[in-house]
Amino acid sequence: MPDDPRTGDLGRFAEPAMLVLVSLAGGAKHGYAIMTDVESFGGAAIGPGTLYAVLARLERRGLIEPLGPQERRRPYRLTMDGAAALDVQLQEMGRFVRAARARQPGTAT
Amino acid sequence: MESPMPLRLVRFLLAAYPRAYRDRYGAEMAAVLEERMASWRDLLDLARGALDARLDPQIEPPRVLAAAAATPPTAPHVAAPTVRASYGVVASGPPIRELNRRTFMRRVLAAGVALLSLEFIGGTLAFTWPQVRSGLGGKFSLGTTADIIALQPSWAAGWPYPYTTARLFLINVPAAKELALGHEASIPNPRADQLLALWRKCPHLGCQVPQLCEALKRFTCNCHQSTYNILGEKLKSGPASRGMDRFGVSIGGDGVIVVDTAQVTAGAPNLGPNHLTFSDPFPWDAACR
Repeated sequence: MPDDPRTGDLGRFAEPAMLVLVSLAGGAKHGYAIMTDVESFGGAAIGPGTLYAVLARLERRGLIEPLGPQERRRPYRLTMDGAAALDVQLQEMGRFVRAARARQPGTAT
Repeated sequence: MESPMPLRLVRFLLAAYPRAYRDRYGAEMAAVLEERMASWRDLLDLARGALDARLDPQIEPPRVLAAAAATPPTAPHVAAPTVRASYGVVASGPPIRELNRRTFMRRVLAAGVALLSLEFIGGTLAFTWPQVRSGLGGKFSLGTTADIIALQPSWAAGWPYPYTTARLFLINVPAAKELALGHEASIPNPRADQLLALWRKCPHLGCQVPQLCEALKRFTCNCHQSTYNILGEKLKSGPASRGMDRFGVSIGGDGVIVVDTAQVTAGAPNLGPNHLTFSDPFPWDAACR
């Protein structure tokens, strides 16, 4: 993912950040909901420490933003920037998948 | 595997996060951990997250605001960063001094250097400290012969006087010889050169040598039955290679007997019955039972 400056320097948090962005693309969620959602759509489970490390990074880069707290839980939603960054990443991955498929023998695209 | 983690531990781990983090995310993280019945794997993840937050704090809104305010007026005003204070609590709160990676490393280094020099200085000082003058190596006043006889009347009859503070037996040599030979004597005023201070540390392995055995009037170490005559000379029984060690004894002008434990004379080597200065009436190889 190094192409997009918005998500380029996340280091070991790049992959969980991607999962969180995808999860939030489906609507605003609070921390626990993000964790269960990520597990349900088949990404690797994210621990609470990793989750908040990722949330802090994404928030700092303006890719997500917090909404007003509901009791002690605070939902987050994707910003326009975040949606754009996710889109760039997904297109990138799509290109990668198509390129990989094209190399598989016996599979015409 | 998914056994729940005690709440106390959760709080402890959250406390490991930097202050700004806790202010911003602490409540929601605690809520997540309670809902999730956090597992032990989460614990590791949290510890890692706390370390990460300390080394590479991603959250520093107050500082961004301060930096923006401190931008010199010469800078083009349009280029000033637009600061989004999207959450009010932290941004309007008191400035939080965050530990960044450089400061953290610098402090760790400084603490290490400080600790090292402290050890070095401490070690140097410890060497310059005066040698201990009590305990072994010190001088001990045992009192006059009258004092000793008052404490232990049998000393005049030759029974060794155990002075436990310095782990020694004070021997009244002429009386002790009479005792070992089976005679009854009373010699209440031996001269300084008739006194013997035997260190009660067996020269074999250092066990404490007990009082004379009644039957033979010999010393026998309880550990390996090294046997000595009443003057501390090694007899045949037992593994010790020499007699009991002796401390220097003197009598001061006031008649007080002083033992100098810094002055140690090694006991005579175990050469055979003809090399003893004193022989008691029992066979050389007889041992106390």
